[in-house]
Amino acid sequence: MSYLSISHVTKKFGDTVVVDDFNLDIEKGEFVSFLGPSGCGKTTTLRMVAGFEIPTSGKILLNGADITDKAPNQRNVGMIFQSYALFPNMTVAQNIGFGLRIRKEPEATVKQRVDEMVSLINLEKHANKYPYQLSGGQQQRVSLARALANRPQVLLLDEPLSALDAKIRVSLRAEIRAIQKSLGITAIFVTHDQEEALSISDRIVVMNTGVMEQVGTPFEIYNFPTTVFAANFVGSLNNSSAEVVDPANSLISIDGVQFESAVDLKQRRKGDKVRVAIRPERLSFASEQKKANVVDATIENVTFLGSVVRIQVKIGQTKFNMDTFNNPFLELPKIGSMEQVTCSREAVLVLDE
Amino acid sequence: MASEKIGKVVEMSILTRIRRIPFWSWFWFILGALYFLLPLYATVNFSLRMERDVIGFKAYVRAFEDPEFIKTFLYSNMLALLTIVASIILIVPTAYWIRLRLPEARRIVEFITLLPFVVPAIILVFGLIRIYSSPVKIPFTDTTLLQPLTTFEVGTDILIVAGYVVLGLPYMYRSVDTGMRTVDVRTLTEAAQSLGASWFTIIVRVILPNIRAALLSGALLTFAIVVGEVTLASFLGVPAFGPYLFLLGQHRAYEPAALSFASFLLTWVAMGLIQLFTGGQGQTTGAH
Repeated sequence: MSYLSISHVTKKFGDTVVVDDFNLDIEKGEFVSFLGPSGCGKTTTLRMVAGFEIPTSGKILLNGADITDKAPNQRNVGMIFQSYALFPNMTVAQNIGFGLRIRKEPEATVKQRVDEMVSLINLEKHANKYPYQLSGGQQQRVSLARALANRPQVLLLDEPLSALDAKIRVSLRAEIRAIQKSLGITAIFVTHDQEEALSISDRIVVMNTGVMEQVGTPFEIYNFPTTVFAANFVGSLNNSSAEVVDPANSLISIDGVQFESAVDLKQRRKGDKVRVAIRPERLSFASEQKKANVVDATIENVTFLGSVVRIQVKIGQTKFNMDTFNNPFLELPKIGSMEQVTCSREAVLVLDE
Repeated sequence: MASEKIGKVVEMSILTRIRRIPFWSWFWFILGALYFLLPLYATVNFSLRMERDVIGFKAYVRAFEDPEFIKTFLYSNMLALLTIVASIILIVPTAYWIRLRLPEARRIVEFITLLPFVVPAIILVFGLIRIYSSPVKIPFTDTTLLQPLTTFEVGTDILIVAGYVVLGLPYMYRSVDTGMRTVDVRTLTEAAQSLGASWFTIIVRVILPNIRAALLSGALLTFAIVVGEVTLASFLGVPAFGPYLFLLGQHRAYEPAALSFASFLLTWVAMGLIQLFTGGQGQTTGAH
């Protein structure tokens, strides 16, 4: 029996299905991200766990208890919002102590717990300040402390970093992850930012139009996407339609250029149309020793992106992006020149059309 | 040190800003100010001349010494206070619920709150008298639900406060609704809920403190309406300040001028107090 179990949950608003048959088991202490574009149902699913929405059908079990229809204030879940949602009329310490005072904890306990939380988020100096006196990052840390002060059974984070600027976003996400790990608290993190999801999660649920596309570790999601959507949404990707040439040897062809894949294609027949995806960083210029998947390519464009140089090449009639790490001694190819380009068999992903 | 510097910078920028305002802006501003201040000056001047050839406060002393003044003024203040409390209890949860759950109902409720502008107070008071001067019965039975309210003092007080709640509705509702617009009511509610708070706790400890500026300005407007109100008070025959002032204006010359200037002062003090109490909150909303 898993710790948090969301089973066959469907949510409709009127006739629109927002979440369609969502199934997920989350272990205690696990950090799970819901990743997808806006309107994919990730926030609605989170809000059903929080109790702000009631599923149209399906069940949500937390620690063995059915919480599907329970009111939000009866659930003991911690919630963190994109807009921080700190109470403007209360100081940092009062915000953090709010939940404990609601529970009528003795004042000494509240004070001790508030001190503990304030030092957890390193805001000891700001305990008596009001939210408007703090920066966005500090406010979100207070909101984290406020949610954790109650010792919630599960921590729910609804795009908590989206309103912050890039640097704070990266440091705060590391901080959130570190605190989550040290407390061993179960967390669900909703985001539309794939980098965020990849860096912070134990597991990622990729969602699209209310449907779960793929569930897996960040490593699996990135390296072995199973659907076109998951492949495209997570990381950048070259994808092109292709034709199966030799199912037995996993040979496919893109515009007549043959590629060998590591994917088993025995289920398919010669001439089947498939979708092929190759990550830009898996393509490289061919050196002598490489044998497999060496193809001719025309250099179309070269873009300098800082740590990475993105080279656009044309293989057959299809344009591919190829990423190489930047270094000062890099010799950039001339636009219009012909080069040999290669990638490993494993890099050639075959996805369902 | 740093704050002194900042203070100086701000001061300078205000000075340069004033210098930059063109002639015509000043012209219209001064014209508008005169339109407002000249009658006020005339009233003050007049109120100070009760005794021939002497400038003094005799009119004020006379007005404030009148026991009738103190009685009616206190009574109206009590009515105003009750009205404010009743409106807050009625309007805050309503406006809150509409923002939270029933945004569709917003236009209907806004229309209702505007009715006091369309239906004159005289119509309202006759309606109230007509309905509540006979016993209120449960429909189709002979059981009396309510004795005629107009026949005893507390009943009349209830009636007039109810009427004043209606008259103050446009001001109170609008203030409260605007106040709720400046705070993210929905998210704050959800945050409080997930921390275990009940509806009552949320309204009292989260919503009310965050709209206190709006509540104060709504309360002040309601207060001003109630203390000066004549129609309801005179037709319901209560010893209120409005009718007293009206009578005084018909029979005396100097005291009404003194009292109207005094009421101006009172309003200014109240506005100053609002500024004082809500200064911090203004900053809160400004920072977002």
